[in-house]
Amino acid sequence: MPELPRKKVGLVSCSGEELAEGTVTRLATLRVLESTRPGETVTICLPLFLAGGEGDRAFARFHPTIAIDGCEKRCAAKGTERYSAKPAASIVASEISPSPPNGFGTARQLNEAGLQAVTTVAEAITKQVDRLLGGPEDKRQSKAAGSSSEHPQVPATAACSCGSGIPVMVLDIAGRRVEALALPLIFDMFRQSGKAPCPETTVELMETVRLYNSIPDDEQALWTEAIELGYAAYIAREAH
Amino acid sequence: MKQKKVWIVPCSGIGKTYGSVARESAFIVTEDLRPATAQIMPLALLVPEDSEARQAIRESDSITIDGCKLACAAKVVAETGGTVAHALQVLGVYREHRDLKPAGIAELNEGGKKLAAVLAAKVSVLVDEIGKERQDA
Repeated sequence: MPELPRKKVGLVSCSGEELAEGTVTRLATLRVLESTRPGETVTICLPLFLAGGEGDRAFARFHPTIAIDGCEKRCAAKGTERYSAKPAASIVASEISPSPPNGFGTARQLNEAGLQAVTTVAEAITKQVDRLLGGPEDKRQSKAAGSSSEHPQVPATAACSCGSGIPVMVLDIAGRRVEALALPLIFDMFRQSGKAPCPETTVELMETVRLYNSIPDDEQALWTEAIELGYAAYIAREAH
Repeated sequence: MKQKKVWIVPCSGIGKTYGSVARESAFIVTEDLRPATAQIMPLALLVPEDSEARQAIRESDSITIDGCKLACAAKVVAETGGTVAHALQVLGVYREHRDLKPAGIAELNEGGKKLAAVLAAKVSVLVDEIGKERQDA
């Protein structure tokens, strides 16, 4: 049975090697991925929006994304919006943690102030992750269940999505080419569950499709028709 | 006439050890080994379409250092109109030095640091070759 990808919060950091602030964004992002919110966050290298395929460019359309930039050039926020989708939140390290007179060190080696900035930016990212995942109420519940703000039970490895991509299928909606996120996996899952194309299956399909795609109210009927036809064609192809 | 510095463009690998090796080797080249003839170009700067860096990357040769087979650095430099004089892969150098097994992302282990140094030495030779070719031209 294919496993549908789980929505997490996507983190896209500029990681700029020119400024110490770029290193601050990179280390802060890693800290959230590995320590404060592992399992709830995923990352992708910013340049992959340009160098990768359509699955990579679907990243910010699938995961609500936080762009983490080192400076006011906002390369991560601009690049994410241009090639994938507008980030759900944007953090600029130089704004929330202004550089002290002696600076943050270098891009290669942060000083004490730089390391403190990593903590400040990581906290800001974590706060935004919680907001995007349903707000502080969820976190209060977690605390009540005995967990702390750190999640040591989850293996500390950064969840890198580079190259894995979100599977997409292109639908024709009123003459427009529209990418439906996760649709190949959804079709495969329904087929393996033995669901034949029929009106009941279409209703179920649409419920699942809506979990991964934002469908405008005035396009619901068009999507339903396209999904119905698409699934029937998919089952016919697989039967051969 | 003063030559333009060669661009050293490491991948922005954030979730993989090899990305960290690429980054570290670029720092070694541009700060320690060839600061007068090589300069780092952050890949992030090339992503926005209105970036001034896109003009700058076209004005000199680039040596790209990629951490994985997706080769973001080489692809983005080519895509934005730059000249990829040499495209290196960390994995390629690791295959020649299997005793230097890198580990760690935020902080490289000793093997990773040594591998970055080996890679940086290789890049420095290529920087020198580009400089010589320019003088001969």
